[in-house]
Amino acid sequence: MAIINQATKELQVKIVYYGPAKSGKTTNLEQIHSNVQVPNPDAKGKMTSLATSSDRTLFFDFFPLEAVAIKGFKTKFALFTVPGQVIYNATRQIVLRGVDGIVFVADSQYEKMEENIETFNHLQENLKALNLNLDDIPYVMQYNKRDLPDTAPVEYLEFLLNNREVQVPYFEAAASNCEGVFETLNMITRMLLHKFLNDGVRSR
Amino acid sequence: MSAFPALNQEDIDFVDQALRELLQKSEANIALLVEKAGYLIHQCGNPEALDTTTFATLGSNAYNAVQFMASLVNENNFTSMYQQGENYSTLMVNVDENSLLVIVFPTHLTVGSMKYYAGPVVRGIGDRIKIASARGDIVDFSDTDARDVQTLFQKNN
Repeated sequence: MAIINQATKELQVKIVYYGPAKSGKTTNLEQIHSNVQVPNPDAKGKMTSLATSSDRTLFFDFFPLEAVAIKGFKTKFALFTVPGQVIYNATRQIVLRGVDGIVFVADSQYEKMEENIETFNHLQENLKALNLNLDDIPYVMQYNKRDLPDTAPVEYLEFLLNNREVQVPYFEAAASNCEGVFETLNMITRMLLHKFLNDGVRSR
Repeated sequence: MSAFPALNQEDIDFVDQALRELLQKSEANIALLVEKAGYLIHQCGNPEALDTTTFATLGSNAYNAVQFMASLVNENNFTSMYQQGENYSTLMVNVDENSLLVIVFPTHLTVGSMKYYAGPVVRGIGDRIKIASARGDIVDFSDTDARDVQTLFQKNN
């Protein structure tokens, strides 16, 4: 849930990048951190990665990023990733606590389809364990690794992962080249802010 | 799970006063009020040398992880967590369902004394949060021009 501080005039929002192992969640955050334009150095915090010795996300990656002021409220986005490996599923649930928006990063390679579906199902289960429902949370799909050979057509990914009552926006990406990364980020932040504009931010 | 409430200036003044008194009595260095999703709500002390935003996020997630671990062995009364350092130690104390008090203190002070001084502070802040929750403030953004939030983030050329 977004946090609003009327004294400091800050709105704090949590976005989690979720997806199977090695789908490019950490790469998305690294690209944003390296390439985002900021009005001043303080608008972008340090990127923190809790990773294994082989650079696999163990707990989460995180960095804070400031954006526009809405009605005088400075908006601070906290960007997180979860570990992709199934053995860390309990950890993913911990990182999802208080989530406002989700980017599901799917691996477009044919051989990863089963993992994509399994991870998407885990996402719904983990949200349920936190008394949250995916249908109530703004989220977007990112079909990553479009630059690799043997990728499934987008229509197939849409059929497998975005075939729900309400379809969400999707983006094709090659995060290692920073393609599709900012388009995805701007869509999820826009969806979140529109939600706040429509609903306000309720304290309970 | 109810959400953390919107705090107004009076709430923040109350929290600020409570944390300042805690630091004065306990001689700790830094006190943070942290929401368990990872947000820093308020800080007092001398945090210049510390990235408190990152510290709050790591602290809350560590606390949540250990609480989850404790629940796996049916330990459901999990109220505090302590990291013992060589120069500075950290104590995290549960305030309520949604928030934590994080205290950084030099190691010549004892964790027992920190817990002693933290007790009334945690209860006071917890009560204040209940008042803020009961108030149930809503911040209305509906008259904002939606075109202002079309493209928030630009890539460097």
